[in-house]
Amino acid sequence: MKGKVKIVKVIIPVISILIAFVIGGIIIAGLGKNPFEAYAYLFSGAFGSSQKFAQTLTIACPLIFTALAAAFAYKCGVFNLGGEGQFIIGAVTSIFVCLKLGVSGAPGILVSLILGTLMGGVWGAIPGILKITRGLNEMIVSIMLNYIATLFMGYVYTNSLREGSTPQTAAIADNLQIGRISDGFRVHWGFVVAIILAVVLAYIIFNTSFGFKIRAVGMNPMAAKFNGFPVKKLILSSFVISGAVAGLGGSIELHGKQFRLMSGFGQGFGFDGVAIALIAQLNPVGAAVVAFFFAVLRKGSSTLQTGMKVPSSVVDIIQALVIIFAVGGTVLIKKPSVQKLLNRSKNDKVSGKGAEA
Amino acid sequence: MGSVLSVSFIQELLLSTIRMATPILLVALAELYSERAGLVNIGLDGLMAIGALVGFLVGYKTMNPVLGLCAGALAGIAINMIYAYFTISMCAEQIVYGMATNILAPALASFVYRLSFSDTSTQITGVAQNAVAIPLLSKIPFFGKLFFNHSPLVYIAYILVIVTAIFFNKTKPGLNFKAVGEFPRAAETMGINVVKVKYLACVICGALAGLGGAYLTICYTNTYSEGIVAGRGFIALSAVIFGRWMSSGVMMACLLFGFCDALQIRLQLISPGTPYQLLQMIPYVCTLLALVFLGIRKSGPKSNGQPYFREER
Repeated sequence: MKGKVKIVKVIIPVISILIAFVIGGIIIAGLGKNPFEAYAYLFSGAFGSSQKFAQTLTIACPLIFTALAAAFAYKCGVFNLGGEGQFIIGAVTSIFVCLKLGVSGAPGILVSLILGTLMGGVWGAIPGILKITRGLNEMIVSIMLNYIATLFMGYVYTNSLREGSTPQTAAIADNLQIGRISDGFRVHWGFVVAIILAVVLAYIIFNTSFGFKIRAVGMNPMAAKFNGFPVKKLILSSFVISGAVAGLGGSIELHGKQFRLMSGFGQGFGFDGVAIALIAQLNPVGAAVVAFFFAVLRKGSSTLQTGMKVPSSVVDIIQALVIIFAVGGTVLIKKPSVQKLLNRSKNDKVSGKGAEA
Repeated sequence: MGSVLSVSFIQELLLSTIRMATPILLVALAELYSERAGLVNIGLDGLMAIGALVGFLVGYKTMNPVLGLCAGALAGIAINMIYAYFTISMCAEQIVYGMATNILAPALASFVYRLSFSDTSTQITGVAQNAVAIPLLSKIPFFGKLFFNHSPLVYIAYILVIVTAIFFNKTKPGLNFKAVGEFPRAAETMGINVVKVKYLACVICGALAGLGGAYLTICYTNTYSEGIVAGRGFIALSAVIFGRWMSSGVMMACLLFGFCDALQIRLQLISPGTPYQLLQMIPYVCTLLALVFLGIRKSGPKSNGQPYFREER
């Protein structure tokens, strides 16, 4: 039975993705374009060459971080919609470290990443503290903090760290950039960090007593409280870890890909992260896989737009449809009537085998 | 500082407070109806986005602002039906589908906009609804211009506040509606069709949120741009908490947030030296502070946010 549940868990997102693609295809066909040709453009844009594939992985990197951030908080039953703000705060901290502290080389990168992670955690702690002390809705607080962080970043790149006439900061020094895996395959090492982090978080959630407590609070805070778990502390620490993960993501995005802050940095990563986490059913490793899928869509959408004149937002629609169907699917199989159906078909098979024998 | 305290400055400030508060108020009332039926809908930003786009588009094509507003409301209802089906009939998690609305609706809006106007470099100007001065009342010095010279939707929003208060407190259907959000099982026993009321709440919520979005592109500015909603849905969401689920409280909260927004814009105009980003933070910071100091733990509908499993009786 357990194996079956696992299979269903994988099948639901896959089917949802297929349905979403079919609907996306219908929309494209409605524009008078050939949907198969459009999807060919989409996938060739993402996988067409090793260079394109490397770019796709680079796009997946920040999405993995924000998705892990969202998944970890939600495992503890709290909704962190502030991934974007924490991501941005991490990057802003790093740009200050890089441009103002005079660090250089690998130690400089390390210091910058650590401080970015810390500040992300601090930014993530705010909704957590307000939730456990004042009972405030963490979603609203974290969304407000997103806007504040985005505006603060705007202040940084148009005022305090502005370079020249364009509203953007100076680029970080070459020796502060995160290296690439190889010259032929230009993915920066941050991607590897993201994958390792996904595995580590999965281990923490599913194999440590801390992770068990986090999950217990997520499933039933009242029961966790009666068991003597420090529910408030656990909620706060899940927020801090969630924020720290997002902050590290922002830091790595700055050091690995963007090298400077400008308008649009990190935009949409927070919500995409939440979407990815939901589709992956909060499994960190699953989140990395779904983040890769989202990156394929993001990378392919620009090829789609230039090649076929289909607005790139069609992939946003596909992404939203995937969530709607994936979550709907998980709810559907939990319904008593469907459960009965699933079990009956299993019993039929068993009895069928019995008849053969 | 003399210019700050002049009568005309204060009048302008209060006038734009009312204008800024209106979309938030419409959307907060939308959420109030939804939450009174036990449905927390965080997809307000998305509903506003689609309302803003459809309202703008229909207004632009027909040159009729009223048609535009109606179309915006209908679009809000249509999108909110996805949320309604999954949360009411499938008992799925409300937050998740609210999030889905927030991702789907703006994507749809931007997709349709780019299809309709392939050349996105120029700002397209749509139709605008003019202010309607109420005869006699608008002639009162100072207050006349302040309260009685607005676009009709502004009057409608404030009338809705009164109507909502009467509906929830003085009428039987209103009390039944509230019962669904407080204790659905008891409501069902009393012969109230819980599922129907919840769907009705979603229709009202979609319509008002779509209208709030359409207000932005028809009454407030007459252009559409991506990100025009700018988190107003979430501000409205906090206005409901802050207003303690009563329409009068919600209105006060919306006026406060509208004031912050208006103040921020006025300050940008009179002190161009201050970085505008810091001023733009004011509404968000105020929302946070208001919640921290005035938000209370539990006073909402008792069954708010919980799915209603009819089969479980």
